[in-house]
Amino acid sequence: MSGAAVRNGGSVRSMVRSPFVLMVGAVLTWFIAAFLVWPNLNVLIATFFPDGSFSGRAAEKLFSSQRAMKSLGNSFLLALALSITVNVVGIFIVLVTHYFKIRGSRILFLGYATTFIYGGIVLAAGYKFIYGDKGIVTSLLLTVFPGMDPAWFSGFFAVLVVMTFATTTNHMLFVGNALKGVDYQTIEAARNLGASTWTILRRVVLPMLKPTLFAVTILSFLTGLGALSAPQVLGGREFQTITPMILTFANSPTSRDLAALLAVILGVSTILMLAVMSRFEKRGTYYSLSKVSSALQKQQISSPVANAAVHTVAYLLFALYTLPVVLIVLYSFADGAAIQTGQISPGSLTLDNYVRVLTQESGLRPFVISVVYSALATVIAVGGLLLVARLLQKYRNWVASVFEYLLHIPWILPSALLALGLIISYDHPNPLVGGAVLTGTTVILLIAFVTVKIPFTLRMLKASFASVNSSMEEAAAIMGAKTLYVFRRILLPIVLPAAAAIAALNFNSMLDDYDTAIFLAHPLVQPLGLVIKANTDGAEGVEGVANTFVYTVLLMVITGLTMYLVYGRSSRRRAGRKNSAAGASPDPATSPALVAAGTEPAAPVR
Amino acid sequence: MRKLQTLVAAAVAVILLAGCGGGAASPAASGDASTAPPAGSGETLVVYTNSNGEGRGEWLTAKAAEAGFKIEVVGAGGADATNKLIAEKNNPIADVAFGLNNMYFAQIKAEGALEPYDPAWAGEVDTALGDSGDGKAYWPLVKQAILLGYNSDKITADAAPQDWTDLWTKEEFKDRYERVTGLGTATAQLVFAGILTRYKDESGDLGVSDEGWKQVEQYFQNGSPAVAKTDLFARIAAGEVDLGQMPSSIIAEREKSFKVNVETVAPSVGVPLAVEQVALVKGTDKKEQAQKFIDWFGSADVQGAFAQQFNSMPVNKTAATKANPEVVEFFADVKQQDIDWDFVQENMGAWVEKIELEYMT
Repeated sequence: MSGAAVRNGGSVRSMVRSPFVLMVGAVLTWFIAAFLVWPNLNVLIATFFPDGSFSGRAAEKLFSSQRAMKSLGNSFLLALALSITVNVVGIFIVLVTHYFKIRGSRILFLGYATTFIYGGIVLAAGYKFIYGDKGIVTSLLLTVFPGMDPAWFSGFFAVLVVMTFATTTNHMLFVGNALKGVDYQTIEAARNLGASTWTILRRVVLPMLKPTLFAVTILSFLTGLGALSAPQVLGGREFQTITPMILTFANSPTSRDLAALLAVILGVSTILMLAVMSRFEKRGTYYSLSKVSSALQKQQISSPVANAAVHTVAYLLFALYTLPVVLIVLYSFADGAAIQTGQISPGSLTLDNYVRVLTQESGLRPFVISVVYSALATVIAVGGLLLVARLLQKYRNWVASVFEYLLHIPWILPSALLALGLIISYDHPNPLVGGAVLTGTTVILLIAFVTVKIPFTLRMLKASFASVNSSMEEAAAIMGAKTLYVFRRILLPIVLPAAAAIAALNFNSMLDDYDTAIFLAHPLVQPLGLVIKANTDGAEGVEGVANTFVYTVLLMVITGLTMYLVYGRSSRRRAGRKNSAAGASPDPATSPALVAAGTEPAAPVR
Repeated sequence: MRKLQTLVAAAVAVILLAGCGGGAASPAASGDASTAPPAGSGETLVVYTNSNGEGRGEWLTAKAAEAGFKIEVVGAGGADATNKLIAEKNNPIADVAFGLNNMYFAQIKAEGALEPYDPAWAGEVDTALGDSGDGKAYWPLVKQAILLGYNSDKITADAAPQDWTDLWTKEEFKDRYERVTGLGTATAQLVFAGILTRYKDESGDLGVSDEGWKQVEQYFQNGSPAVAKTDLFARIAAGEVDLGQMPSSIIAEREKSFKVNVETVAPSVGVPLAVEQVALVKGTDKKEQAQKFIDWFGSADVQGAFAQQFNSMPVNKTAATKANPEVVEFFADVKQQDIDWDFVQENMGAWVEKIELEYMT
């Protein structure tokens, strides 16, 4: 940590002087007003002031309900517990795959990366096949310990375990990425000074990952609060969360105020968490002070005992991560009855499920529609927010803060209510969008997709801008480079890998969206989520459950491909770049001219 | 650096092109189809339904095309479809809605999103099963009985419960029946409509006596909670539970898939009937075409063919002769519970809320 100089670049006055900032600000203000504030204000007014006057009915009902309070408590418990466990497991797998010398780390990486490609109800079901009362592992354990409870894997413990392993995706992508940016010379210097592996990790490496760790912790917290399928499948009587109740109430016009109130409680706590984290973040961002940074080299764990232990745990985790995926793929070939009763025999595996799903009349069309929608929404959200995140990270004043918090509005309401807000605001000509009617068009779903992805995209982009060494940018500015030039030539290349990862995650998460699409999709352009729902839901029949598995595997293929195209390739490209930049090339990370000015931290120290 | 930039620029360009190209291709193509229909076949009708699963949507689209109707079926669960129709009432997207039961349609009608219309086949159906208000807006198509079923390999007809209330009052059924974990589905709501309507009491909370709410409490306390994504029949096959709620239409198929035998209880008060309806959406700009479609869809021929294909019980009297004889026989025997639907429709939202908040554990 260094530097106490307060840069004058962050004030409101300097902000309004830049025409570039004013332009971005104008567009942003319109977007926020039209698509974040106005629709959601409408839906909240409609729910809380049904007859023009406020009623405290919702709060009264909720606070006197034992079940609601217990479920709410469970959601918070899960959110807090996940913020810790996901960090522990997430940091461990990142270190194992990126930091320490571990045999077979590439294979381990692939195993840990399976959470990139699937989630939700099927993931929970996958764990149930293994550890549930009729699961494979449980059957094995029962032969060893006949007295044990077959239903051992349920309740809070089971939900926490499953969700912990299921949500390390953000760590793998973003913490992994930030770790690659750590300057190896600091590590070497620390080692030369006699620091142990553990000390280096704790005092040098982890502090430099702080901005990213804060960002992913907020996401873990949010995931815990919004937990839906894992508690439903594994929570049992004892551990049910609030989300199922929110969804039921959001669907009932007479109880929508309860859903909105619950959602607002969860949303506001997320924003509070965000505020606390931002506080921590502002207290100090850690940067390497070295003039010439160099790429990270993998560390050998010196103690043979520790080394063996880390290897063992790493491979154990590998098994935990990969087993459910293998079983899901296997079960996708079984018939629905076998899936639900957990009984499977090699002879019963057929291609029938795939034939049924893929030869439907609608065929591949919903897949194409979803891919196009997701791609467009991703490009718009990430592209637009690149500029915004950069400005919010550069200008730290009250105006920027207001914008930043406004952009988190989509975290406050569940997507069903966001969609309702858009409908009631734009089912008539509205001056905010040039007098157009948006309902019944293909645009409205795109708008919803973009807005839903804004908070996540912004958080992660801001974190990756925060970990950029500001010295290069300042050097460029001193040499007369314009704002856009600096952004394009210096900042963009550095944050691009993170942006690509965010884009891939956004893309994947929108492919099977149902909650937004059900209200907003154009009747003739129906995305995949609606088709999946039609084929998997209803009475949860035999074919329905089998179809769920087939769709999951098909989505795994698409998302796996996306991750490979965007992430796998970009990391290889970067590796290639590093090699070619080994000489005296003007790579920003190694250019002596640029680092000369690099003593000041990007974050103003308050 | 320069090389990297070129690469990045190329990548971005490719993504943009792919996005725009695809985007322009598919939505625009289908958009054209909807706005500029070919003459003769008429415009594309948008049909909302919760009854499109298990091939129904495809079957209907194909049959309608044969009859000269171009339709686009939009599937959504009962509650979702209801909310969607209400939310879109100022600028409706759908032209016709069908499959929702009378409770849902009553809600939609109350919000003013339906256009009254007397279909050509109005005389062939029992109007008591449809809209009971003035200016009939929704018309009955298919009957569905909401039943309490039990594993007949384990429980003999003599030992079986006589009514829902036996589940929690008789020791032998406690923890042996599946109870719901949410009241979002039409089936669950109808089960409770059938129970609560028996305890109507104007001085009671939400029109139901304390005794009635006690039944609900007992139902939740003594049942085995349903498991997400695990069918009741799968649980019966695994021996976890022996009894539970089921709509009549699914029983035959599930028995076969899960290799179990199920019989149903015939309470002396009768069983709740869910009647799927069809209605014209208010404000559609294809009104004439939509009316023609309703006339066609509810006709004896089409309903009969639908019943044959999907084992349903048509309300249309002529169509009933074409339905599966077993189904017809079953419905001939089944006694319909006398439910005060106005009372139920008025209170269902509040009941669901109360049950979710106070009795579900």
